[in-house]
Amino acid sequence: MKIIHKLFDSQRKHFEGKGKLRMLKPLFEATETFFLLPGIVARSGPYVRDSLDLKRFMSFVILALMPPFFFGIYNAGYQSCLVSGLPVDFLTVVIRGLWIVMPLVVISYGVGFFWEILFASIRKHPISEGLLVTGLLFPLTLPPAVPLWQAALGISFGVVIGKEVFGGTGRNIFNPALTGRAFLFFAYPTKMSGDAVWVSISGTAQQVADAVTGATPLAVTVLTESGETVLTALEKAGYTFSRLFWGNYPGSIGDTSAFCSLVGAVILILVGVASYRIILGGVLGLLSTGWLLNYLSASSTNVWMVLPPLHHLVMGGFAFGIVYMATDPVSAPGMEHVKWLYGFLIGVLTVLIRVFNPAFPEGVMMAILFMNLFSPLLDHIEIGWRLKKRISNV
Amino acid sequence: MISVTVTKGYDLPISGRPSPEVKTLKKPLRVASLPERIPFIKPRLQVEVHDHVKIGSVLYEDKQNTDLKFLSPGSGTVTAINFGERRVLREIVIELDREEQVVDFPKIADSDIRSLERESLIRMLMQGGVWTLIRELPFRNIADPKSSPSSIWVVMDSGEPFQASPEVYLRGREALFSFGLKIIKRLGIPVNVSAPDHLRLLGISEMITHRVRGPYPAHDPGVVLYQTKKSASENVCWYLTGQDLLAIASLVKNGKYPVERIVAAGGSRVKTGCHFQTRTGAPIRDMIPELADDTTCVAGGLLTGYVVDADSFLGLHETSLFCMDKGDQAQLFGFLRPGLAKHSYSRTFLSVFRKQPFDMDSGMHGEERACVNCGSCTRVCPVDILPQFTIKCLAADAIEEVLAHGLLDCVECGLCSYVCPSKIELREILRKAKHDYYMEQK
Repeated sequence: MKIIHKLFDSQRKHFEGKGKLRMLKPLFEATETFFLLPGIVARSGPYVRDSLDLKRFMSFVILALMPPFFFGIYNAGYQSCLVSGLPVDFLTVVIRGLWIVMPLVVISYGVGFFWEILFASIRKHPISEGLLVTGLLFPLTLPPAVPLWQAALGISFGVVIGKEVFGGTGRNIFNPALTGRAFLFFAYPTKMSGDAVWVSISGTAQQVADAVTGATPLAVTVLTESGETVLTALEKAGYTFSRLFWGNYPGSIGDTSAFCSLVGAVILILVGVASYRIILGGVLGLLSTGWLLNYLSASSTNVWMVLPPLHHLVMGGFAFGIVYMATDPVSAPGMEHVKWLYGFLIGVLTVLIRVFNPAFPEGVMMAILFMNLFSPLLDHIEIGWRLKKRISNV
Repeated sequence: MISVTVTKGYDLPISGRPSPEVKTLKKPLRVASLPERIPFIKPRLQVEVHDHVKIGSVLYEDKQNTDLKFLSPGSGTVTAINFGERRVLREIVIELDREEQVVDFPKIADSDIRSLERESLIRMLMQGGVWTLIRELPFRNIADPKSSPSSIWVVMDSGEPFQASPEVYLRGREALFSFGLKIIKRLGIPVNVSAPDHLRLLGISEMITHRVRGPYPAHDPGVVLYQTKKSASENVCWYLTGQDLLAIASLVKNGKYPVERIVAAGGSRVKTGCHFQTRTGAPIRDMIPELADDTTCVAGGLLTGYVVDADSFLGLHETSLFCMDKGDQAQLFGFLRPGLAKHSYSRTFLSVFRKQPFDMDSGMHGEERACVNCGSCTRVCPVDILPQFTIKCLAADAIEEVLAHGLLDCVECGLCSYVCPSKIELREILRKAKHDYYMEQK
């Protein structure tokens, strides 16, 4: 403890006043406060303050991201070994998974922090803890085979355009990680969809890979032959409900397992960091729209319409998106009641996009970004409604 | 009697609650008057250093209303008049005589109260220096006799940790309390008496009009008013605490400026928390001799008070002292610790399982960050303000919108600042906005 104290005290002079590295003061402060929670005394009332700070608040999101992160490493490795014809014992799979995922995480944090430090230094702002979350969320939404330069480009777009141009953390209207992901999706549509991107293939086994289909469940449903129900098509491809739930199939790194997202949701709701209203609202919206479409599907040839609603819940990135992305407090509404509506509409839109616009197989990303846009309006409506009931005092 | 239930707010589980025992302090060497701590007044000095004053001599008056007199809490020689930043009048220190002299004021017998006129009563209270104890909502300035309040609230306890308990200061003074009520009823404004419903207060129970149930700050006059008002015409109210009512009654009954005060001292850094029988303007050191440099001492309620040092004195309106650790020590990996002893409104520490009260300190426990819209402030606000949106309206100078959000209903309880994980000074921002609005109104 004392050694760390002394170390920081001895180096502080370089970052203050006219020190050589004064431009990097935010970086110094961020590093110092990571190790040492500063003993700042309250200067105005109340003179007691809660022990929770934003670092701990964000740390809980990181903690909740651990199940999809670890499973993502395993799954990316497993799918890759499977397709590449490598042995699928635990050790090989994990090493392969780390080999695929860690570069993306390092790139995401590295490039993200570069932009954050750059903006913080110029604006003389402290470095925000929000990036710790963004930097991990973003790679988990990527397909394992995405080139590193694309990951760097995506996080740059997410941090700079998604957040910094609005003034930094707390002022952004879109979720930065999702903004970066959407940018990649639209900038490199050919690389971000199709079958090849979902499994990272080791170079020597390219021929083997071509023989094995890497189609994700969302893609399978589109490929359904006529006369076949979507369920049998899914099951023919090996996607049973339980496999979809546990997440052992090709897809984006972190979002295949609904189970892991469920664990994360439980953590976030228990500690009160994420709003259960948004998550439950989203699930309700998804299920009810799914059922409604099932009901209307008799006269339609759209195979998506007959997909059982519970399948919507476990397929693709919905679970991951509603738990980790939609609950981002900055881009979600701040009022309690409209959070239900916000979540509900994300669920509704996810299904509608999946069903009626198969060009975007990942509906949840679009749905959340779209509803981010509407959250100020939702807040405005609820605030107006609340203020009307108030006895004025002017 | 009306029952009021307040659902929003928050009770901090704090250790060091003062016991109901009352210790009588010996006469202090010095007392002081602290004009700086009285909101919105512009004091004009009436004494100089080396002047001799009696208990009840005028020390200063308010430039805006020269009838408003602030009287000396002691008899002796003015030894120092201290100024603060920008020459704000900070304190007038009086070294007490061995035999104190007292200014005589007119007194009124119980039987003559019925014939008391409003105007003469107001003049009497102003000259007797106790009008300063009656304050006005929404701004909490000293009541303006020209305003037309809808009612007067006598509040027994704000529920704030740890104010002098009504069970202590009312003990043996029930008759005086009832006398005081008769007096202020002569102001011709409906008088309400609100008390927490967990206190029995047997001696005065038939005088209580509102029984309030709820977490801090449910018993604050602003919250009770917010919960009970039916229309905007009720926004302006006068209020005073039970102890202030006793002071008014004492002046009218005895014809002497009342200087007796019961003060609660608590917190983890006080050896034995208890109540003190002392006087207005008593030195802090008399009550807390052990006050050290690593201790923060807050006068006047833990969440709404201000920090005092050992050489300072107790202000006119303050009846409590709270001592705790300063909290200026950096902590290794502080944000990752399980935090069994760290109190939090959230559920992010293991302390959610802790049943015992917590030792508080005056540290911020983090650095200031941008608001992330987490909504904790809105959840605790007892008068349904939306601090996270209100401060953004303020930043945009949209004052009409801020007022519509209920800025003037703000009771300055400090809970929003307490719970904020971004460590934004919400209470200070709202308080300042209210202050600026008051100054503009005049």
